[in-house]
Amino acid sequence: MKSRFALTLVSLWAVLTLNFLLPRWLPGDPLAALLDPDSSSYVYNAEVRGALEAYYGLDRPLGEQYAAYLTGALGGDLGRSIRLNQPVSDLLREHLSWTLLLTLSALIAASLLGVIAGSEAAWRRRSAADRLLVVTGVLASNAPVFFTGMILLILFGVELRWLPLAGGRTPFARYDNALEQVRDYGAHLLLPALTLTLALVGSKFLLVRNSVIGVLGEDFMLVARAKGLSPRRLKRHHALRNAIVPFVHHLTAHAGFAITGALFIETLFNYPGMGRLIFESVVARDYPVIQGVFLVVSVLVLCANLLADWLTARLDPRTQEA
Amino acid sequence: MQITLPQTARAIRQSRAPAAIRRLAASLGAEGAIGLALLVAFAIVGISAPLLAPYDPAAFSGAPLERPSADHRLGTNDVGQDILSELIAGARISLAVALGAAGGTVLLAVLIGGAAGYAGGWIDAALMRVVDVLMALPQLPLLILITALLGAGLGQMVLVFAALFWPGTARIIRAQVLSLRRRGYVAQARGFGAGPVYILRRHILPAIGPLIVFGLVTAAARAVVFEAGLAFLGLGDPTAKSWGLMMRYALNLPGLLLSDRWLWWLLPPGLCVTVLILALNLLGIGLEHRLDPRLKRP
Amino acid sequence: MTAPLLAVENLRVTFAAPDDPHAAIRAVDGVSFDLAAGQSLAIVGETGSGKTTLARALLGLHPAGAVAGSIRLDGAELVALDEQGWRPIRWRRIALAVQNAGTAFDPVQRVGDQIAEPMREHLGLADSAARVRALDLVAELGLGERHLRSYPHQLSGGEKQRLMLAMALSCAPDVLIVDEPTSGQDMLTRAKMLAFLNRVRQDTGISLLLISHDLAAVARLADRVAVLYAGKLAEVGPARDVLQRPRHPYAWGLLNAYPNMTTARDLRGVRGGLPDPAHPPTGCRFHPRCTQAVDECRRIEPPLQPVGDWLVACHLGGLQTLLRVDRLAKTFSLNGNGFRVEAVRDASLDVLEGEVVAVIGETGSGKTTLGRLVAGMLDPESGAIAFKGQALDSLSGPALKDVRKQVQLIPQDPFDTVSPRLKVAEIVREPLDVQRIGAPAERMAAVREALAAVGLPDGDSFLARRPHELSGGQLQRLVIARALVLEPKLIVADEPMSMLDASEQAKLINLLKDIQNERGMGLLLISHDVALVRKVADRIVVMRDGAIIESGPASRVVTQPQHAYTRALLSAAPAFDWFEDGDPVSGG
Repeated sequence: MKSRFALTLVSLWAVLTLNFLLPRWLPGDPLAALLDPDSSSYVYNAEVRGALEAYYGLDRPLGEQYAAYLTGALGGDLGRSIRLNQPVSDLLREHLSWTLLLTLSALIAASLLGVIAGSEAAWRRRSAADRLLVVTGVLASNAPVFFTGMILLILFGVELRWLPLAGGRTPFARYDNALEQVRDYGAHLLLPALTLTLALVGSKFLLVRNSVIGVLGEDFMLVARAKGLSPRRLKRHHALRNAIVPFVHHLTAHAGFAITGALFIETLFNYPGMGRLIFESVVARDYPVIQGVFLVVSVLVLCANLLADWLTARLDPRTQEA
Repeated sequence: MQITLPQTARAIRQSRAPAAIRRLAASLGAEGAIGLALLVAFAIVGISAPLLAPYDPAAFSGAPLERPSADHRLGTNDVGQDILSELIAGARISLAVALGAAGGTVLLAVLIGGAAGYAGGWIDAALMRVVDVLMALPQLPLLILITALLGAGLGQMVLVFAALFWPGTARIIRAQVLSLRRRGYVAQARGFGAGPVYILRRHILPAIGPLIVFGLVTAAARAVVFEAGLAFLGLGDPTAKSWGLMMRYALNLPGLLLSDRWLWWLLPPGLCVTVLILALNLLGIGLEHRLDPRLKRP
Repeated sequence: MTAPLLAVENLRVTFAAPDDPHAAIRAVDGVSFDLAAGQSLAIVGETGSGKTTLARALLGLHPAGAVAGSIRLDGAELVALDEQGWRPIRWRRIALAVQNAGTAFDPVQRVGDQIAEPMREHLGLADSAARVRALDLVAELGLGERHLRSYPHQLSGGEKQRLMLAMALSCAPDVLIVDEPTSGQDMLTRAKMLAFLNRVRQDTGISLLLISHDLAAVARLADRVAVLYAGKLAEVGPARDVLQRPRHPYAWGLLNAYPNMTTARDLRGVRGGLPDPAHPPTGCRFHPRCTQAVDECRRIEPPLQPVGDWLVACHLGGLQTLLRVDRLAKTFSLNGNGFRVEAVRDASLDVLEGEVVAVIGETGSGKTTLGRLVAGMLDPESGAIAFKGQALDSLSGPALKDVRKQVQLIPQDPFDTVSPRLKVAEIVREPLDVQRIGAPAERMAAVREALAAVGLPDGDSFLARRPHELSGGQLQRLVIARALVLEPKLIVADEPMSMLDASEQAKLINLLKDIQNERGMGLLLISHDVALVRKVADRIVVMRDGAIIESGPASRVVTQPQHAYTRALLSAAPAFDWFEDGDPVSGG
């Protein structure tokens, strides 16, 4: 666990440094172009241009730039958006909560669904239901996130008109009470969350299923059965409890996937999270915002990995020795 | 007296072909065989794209936004280009990206992973720390940042893919090389006086061959996913009309979803991407199976 | 007679072959046995014989439909039960201690929980009560609270084994099935384990079903032994009997292969290998490896038949008695004087299939005469000799000739029994010529084979030599080759190695043993060299002044001789070793 923590810190440092170096080192010199009157990406707004110059400090030595950047980043100053003329950190804060809402709800839903379905499928191995679920799982985990989203959007938003097409909530709405607000948010959340859930659940289901199948073949499961324990206890207390360990381990890899998947979905559904932010910023070549999103998302992913590792360690007593 | 070897070899190859194919299919399992078949189909389409496509995809061969007809089987896009031709040409691009990224990834992975595994000691430890850190970085955000900064360009994208994907495969290759190096027969060969080149050629490369193939397929799958995604986000190469880019252009059309235009403009490229990824992943499953037949079959 | 606690009848467990879904493997094929309350039965067999499958079937752990036959516990039929029906029986009435304790525990739960688990389930104990009881159980095995609170990976293999036993006994079952309790253990742990099991038996009166290939453990714990071969029972009987003098050829072979501190005899495996479970041999499963297989064995499966006190599945009723000598007597009268010498009086012995019986004694004890009587070179005055159950004096003509073919003598003095005028080839071929077996070419082939078998050259130049051109060792081998050429079933060897130096002796004795093992030949070995005899003999017969004064299993006669004369013989046997005090220890 300690080594994992150290690795996370190192990765964090790597992220920060890459964030600093890439704009300055990649060919094409994009940052300089912002301030070059002859280039196409010249920023005309003097106020914004001034802020950019101050933030990037391209005329100062590299070491100074790095120091300034680090202190700024750790203190919350990530520059100013070119497009919206707002502090990047403000923008991020606004959009982050939407992304977290989407990602967390989808992760929880996908995990629950994946674990339950995977466990049941494993117990009913080779039955018709199991085969069907496996095929669905394989298909679902292979389709790119935005494609699944598209299909769902068309199906539920356009054809059936059950759910709103875009946005996080009805624009300019005013709510009479909290319940109404939740319902409105919920209605807008449903499709994007559903899409993300579907994108995530496939691999989770398959993993849990394989994991449980593997556990079922172990000697101790035979002994547990020989002890005359109830099927319920066998399933939950022994099989699932063992199978959950590689599953949580898998969440490590998947946390990042979930967050990046959310980015795509927000673009598609016009959901006001960071995905949409980045999309719009990319179109406008708003580098400070892009960098800021990169930083925040990276930190999120690293934290999620750390959390998953901690959970794995707690769940599997065999790793606690380390 | 002398039978020309090329003739013989060819004859043998020809006569053995059906049996070999059958054996290959059997060793890959159902999933792998399906994946391989699909991949071959895509490859055929991609290679013969100029012959298959009814029109030059860049040419304005019809009126904008035409519905599907005999002339344009999938209709035309918003500037009057034939969608079917775009679709077929897109296969080429996706495959090119997949191949390029896969090749680059595996090359780096073999060189770095192989060196780490073979050298051992502090070189191995240092390289593996680098691999650890690189693998901990979130890939899509990094990709987005880099492509936003670099600007569009398919070649550059392929290079970036290779630079991001190599750590995963490198780890696998290094593990194998490490275990091979310790094996008895490698030590024996050294005892006979064999140098590193011989050992590499005779013992190590054949053993990591299957891993290389597996690495190629997985890298290719990820490259296709990411390329489509980036193009979809608008970060792709505007000069290379990949399937992802087609979808982006389609979605740019206001009210696309409200009409039924999405059926022939948005859906086909989406399906193609999905099926290609599916093919690569299935093939990956089949190869994984071949690598470790002890894995319990589902 | 009270009904047995556990009655298994015609149990069959069938699996699909892993690589061929249509081929069926009958891992257990028609096994029947009874287990009375308080009794212990050992199931013995090689790996793959079906022992573990059998154990699992007794707990209903196989998929429904794989098991056929009958398992009755206190009269109640268990085979037809579904999973729900089995649950109250499992652990509470019949418990299982699996072979590999290392993987028997759930790695993410504490061991104490796992031991308490079945108690909560079956006995309805509350958590605290279950824990107390678990503590009591493990205390007897030398373990404590610390172990119960540990996870499996924190414990050693030996600790886990004991904990698994405690877990198996937690619900005080009626029947405890123990699968290989001693495998992989060092000797001391093993001894403790066996002691514990014995104590449990005595204290609780539990019935024990012991599955093992460790014959010494079986000897310690079992009342009765059942030998399992390729899914079928070969022999069932009292432990003492089956383990000392098994009747079934397989059991006999198994015993010979077992390293035992009390025997000096070399280890011999059973020739051949286990059959492919998906395609068992027709007829008797063991027949391809059996040295006494007859035609019937290849076609018909032998049922388990009572032979005396126990059951054997063999058409021939178990190992056949090759030779039975009953109260044989022979008297010589010396030239004219009327002085009569009773060379052999009232001698009785048996030689079974594949057995080596050594007759030891001083010169003049009558051993050579006995050998000659058996080989048919002398006629007895009284008593009977039977070969394969047929009394020799009742046979005549072709039948007798046939028996003569099967019993061959290797004489003491090779020079005397080999004609100096004949060539090697003719000498070895003589028995075939006499018996008129085969065409001339076939006879020559047999000759070459026999020569090769004894390690002599079979080339033409050697075949043309005459006896005086051979060394003593070569001659002795030649004589053995001649004895082998008829492929006899019983060889009487009279001091066959007196001419040889130690190295030749060692090679030759191993050779004889190899051939004997391969063909199931009986060997009546007459010798005065006790140390040599010890290496190969299964039984030892001690003769003195024409009478047999002691006979029994070799291990017993050598380590616990009953008769004073035997003791004298043994102490005079050559032995040399230097021990701590520096003086060589030697006899003679």
